[in-house]
Amino acid sequence: MSIKSPVQNKSDIKIGVFICKCGGNISDKVDIERLKEEIDAEIIEVYTNLCSLNGRKIIRDNIISNNLDRVVIVACSPISHEKTFQDYIKPLNPYLMDMVNLREQCSWVHPDDANITDKAITLVNASIEKVKQSHAVDPILCQTPNSVAVIGAGISGISAATSLARQGYEVFLIEEKPSIGGHMAGIGKVFSPVKIAEECGLCLLNPVIKNVVENDNVNILTNTTVKSIDRRAGTFSVVLENNPRYVDSDRCISCGECEKVCPVEVPDEFNDGLSNRKAIYKPYSQAYPDTYTIDMENCKKCGACIKKCSMDAIYLEGESENVPITVGSVIIATGHELFDPGKRPEYGYSRYEDVITQSELGRIMGVNGPTKGKLEKPSNGEVPKRLVMIQCVGSRDEKPEGHKYCSKVCCMVALKNANIIKHKYPDTDIVICYTDIRTPGMYEKYYKHSQQSGIRLIRGRPGDVVKKGDNLVIRVEDTLQKKFKEIEADMVVLSTAIEPSQGTKDMAKLLNVGLTEDMFVKEAHPKIKPVTTDVKGVYVCGTAQDPKDITESIMQANAAASKVSEIMHDGIEVEPFIAEIDNEICNLCGDCIQMCKYKAMSVIDDELFIDPMSCSGCGKCLTICQHNAININGNVDEKIFATIYGMLKDKKPGERRILAFLDNIGYTAADNIGVNRVQYPDTIHIIKVISVNRVMPKHIIYALENGADGIFIGEYPGDLMYSEVERKMNNIRNDILDHNMDPERLQFARVYIPYFRGLADKFKDFDNKIQSLE
Amino acid sequence: MKDIPNEKFLLFKSCMVNVEYPGIESSTKYIFDKLGLDYIISPEQTCCTGLGHYSDVFDELSTTAIAARNFNLAKSLDHPNLVMLCSTCYAINKKSANILNNNDEVREKVNNIFIEAGLEDKCYNKGDTDSRENIFHVVEVLYNNRDKISDLCKYNLSDFRIATHHACHYCKVHYEDTVDGVRNPMLLDDLAEACGVDTVKWYDHKRLSCGNGFRQRFVNRDYSLEVTKEKLLSLKDENVDILLHMCPNCQIQYDRYQPVIEKQIGEKIGIYHLNVSQLIALSMGADPYTVAGIQTHSVKLEPILEKFKEIKEEGK
Repeated sequence: MSIKSPVQNKSDIKIGVFICKCGGNISDKVDIERLKEEIDAEIIEVYTNLCSLNGRKIIRDNIISNNLDRVVIVACSPISHEKTFQDYIKPLNPYLMDMVNLREQCSWVHPDDANITDKAITLVNASIEKVKQSHAVDPILCQTPNSVAVIGAGISGISAATSLARQGYEVFLIEEKPSIGGHMAGIGKVFSPVKIAEECGLCLLNPVIKNVVENDNVNILTNTTVKSIDRRAGTFSVVLENNPRYVDSDRCISCGECEKVCPVEVPDEFNDGLSNRKAIYKPYSQAYPDTYTIDMENCKKCGACIKKCSMDAIYLEGESENVPITVGSVIIATGHELFDPGKRPEYGYSRYEDVITQSELGRIMGVNGPTKGKLEKPSNGEVPKRLVMIQCVGSRDEKPEGHKYCSKVCCMVALKNANIIKHKYPDTDIVICYTDIRTPGMYEKYYKHSQQSGIRLIRGRPGDVVKKGDNLVIRVEDTLQKKFKEIEADMVVLSTAIEPSQGTKDMAKLLNVGLTEDMFVKEAHPKIKPVTTDVKGVYVCGTAQDPKDITESIMQANAAASKVSEIMHDGIEVEPFIAEIDNEICNLCGDCIQMCKYKAMSVIDDELFIDPMSCSGCGKCLTICQHNAININGNVDEKIFATIYGMLKDKKPGERRILAFLDNIGYTAADNIGVNRVQYPDTIHIIKVISVNRVMPKHIIYALENGADGIFIGEYPGDLMYSEVERKMNNIRNDILDHNMDPERLQFARVYIPYFRGLADKFKDFDNKIQSLE
Repeated sequence: MKDIPNEKFLLFKSCMVNVEYPGIESSTKYIFDKLGLDYIISPEQTCCTGLGHYSDVFDELSTTAIAARNFNLAKSLDHPNLVMLCSTCYAINKKSANILNNNDEVREKVNNIFIEAGLEDKCYNKGDTDSRENIFHVVEVLYNNRDKISDLCKYNLSDFRIATHHACHYCKVHYEDTVDGVRNPMLLDDLAEACGVDTVKWYDHKRLSCGNGFRQRFVNRDYSLEVTKEKLLSLKDENVDILLHMCPNCQIQYDRYQPVIEKQIGEKIGIYHLNVSQLIALSMGADPYTVAGIQTHSVKLEPILEKFKEIKEEGK
């Protein structure tokens, strides 16, 4: 049967076909001599082990002495040896070669009496046609500037910045508040994973801060926010807004005289509003930068501080400054906020002074806090006789405004605070009302220690907190004893949930990074690609990504620094089969930008820009562009047509040929079938594609009209384009019907690497179905 | 917050309202007329059977079929927005609408019942009535019109200490659609504020159920009244005069059984119970007997009326 080639015939190209016997794995089943006779190429050579160094010599010598333009390697799977042979065919461009899989997908999967040699001939023909359409392409090297922007200077940001600085990169550590340190600076004591004890948080934080401050590679910018970010290949152009401090940090000696004369008092956010500070203030004594700041929103501009300042460091008029920087990567370390207990009115946070949060308790117990570490009730300054802690306020909550997730740290925080109180005030009774006590790993030992300290635990989520006379009454069901209890106490502490901060949401918007349904930063793949976001070059760490404790934050920060280092080290080599835009035709309609699941497209300087690091070559934009302004490198369209032509051109009447298009995962599964010697019919001919989305209706119609009896398409459901392709199938079936052919000849299936037996079964079933259609 | 329409209402009759406190319906009609709202009442509308269903007397399929019939009626009268006087009607009809729209099997069963009965024209089509867009509580409509109500009130009620009791079947069942607060319901408080009343915004047990529990009042009477007593005593501690209601079942529980509880504990509680529609109508100058129907109350309301009539015309 002779069919017309759908692509330009290139008869003057010299092709070399090198056949590997594979130590008998191929040559025992395939009649190599007949294969040699039936194919048409300039040079055909056979060798026992092509992948060996001798094999390399044979290939290379032939290419050079015969001026070969293209090479076809007939051997095992490209998944095993593609890179090897791409190297062997030098001086030819690596993309001028194709491999025919005669081992895993031919001799290992068909019974002896099958038409193995015929299939081998078909596969080699297909490959020959395909390489005729190949072009030489060079990989794209993306160089990134050796600098990083870390947004947020809490423990996570500081850790990431230090790690990167020590690896030699320039770091911009950006913090919106007047000083660095984040939540950890105010936490008081921290729990240690190994010691059954609590340690001073600031003592642990101070050396960490010292390291980042002293490292010359780190530029710390406080009082600074991010105004805009533009991404272009490996580069981020960031515009920062540096807000005036109204105190010259070079002159200020932190003597504190200005603070004494300032007439304005406002709630001190460092102490959670439990005490006041002045409008001119330093957040806490060890704050870095070691300088005062004016809170201009509350400042009355009376000038009393200016008169007092002996260093002439204060100025009352100032403007924000725009600071542009260029970096190669961005790390989001914008931290968290705490759930607003006002959203649980039944606990009386806004009604009763002595109902407070764990964060506020932490400040009260802190030696540098509003009570200098004394446990005092906000209402009357006395030591409480009984303190009840309520867990899971805002967490594990399915009602409106609650969060379904668990905030992970609150059980340990409650136990920590309870232990601190019990040590200093052994007469104060502490009751923790919990849902579950979650203290995994070594923390379990701390839990045991807490129980032994006399801390009481009730399993039940309280319904109300009310005031009866002088006391607070907590109504809770003790679910282990199945009794309702009313606990009289004089202080209640709420363990509130961790929520994503406003800064996190703002940064995600600026960077076009996805957020999860709980509004934390979404990782590209939470299981196997932590700290990576769906935008190349942007990473996340700390509580911006989800609730966690200090240790995990530091770990994640180091992981993010490591990922940044990978892309910065030598630049990134990107496979060139990506989209290209013809700016003359493009009218900036933006349809492609919306559609791109890899977020590879954006408009920069009034031109459409396609980020080579993000583009996967899936071809979706191609189909969307109404002006045909987009082209994908690598000639994939023509190569698919050519492969189909090669697969069908010598089909004999009465033969059955089924073409199976598989993505990388599907192809690996098919190889697995071979490795395990599971059998399937020889009518199945597999074609590997970079993205199943590139197989278009025109390819399928052409194939069916020119001899293909069935088309099988396999895609991995985890692929970002999966649901689109699945939807496309129905449209294609209608197309097939319009061409007067049976839509049943098109089959779409899910493929998974370990599910190779299932794939073999699907092949068998499809072959049977096609047979019955005849 | 969901959109509350202002027209094409089918004012849904309630069995408990009509049997126990018909003044609630006539007060509501009085207010609607004053507001000039577009509403109808249909003699063909049946009881929602929610009370029987929640008491385990009627099965869900029957109740859902009844709901389908009422929905069909509302649509055919071109007044598709059902407005409920009772929170039981509110909750069960929303549930039925969701079932009819999302459960194909049940919808088919219900339609087969209609077909067998020769009532094909009453068949329910998926999406005919939407739980969120077509089913409301009277209080929501009043809340939507609270500015106009403000202008129509004639009496100054600031001498009364008024608290609110929000119906569980309004607040807690379909809480995604609850207006003005679920954990601290303020719907009645904000509505009362429109009449110049500064309510007791929070009191112990504000969110507690009335104790009615549908059949619990009959089957578990002691337990049921225990619950009722808790809230009444808490209100007494706060010196509350009037408790505002939005559901006849709650009103029955408090109004009819407060005297019973008083006898049990040997103590006077002395709180007056009124539906918010009755209060608003009275405040607009409606007749206490022919419109507000206070003669049907167990706890006699004449004493507060006297205080009412004294504080006349300090105007708005």
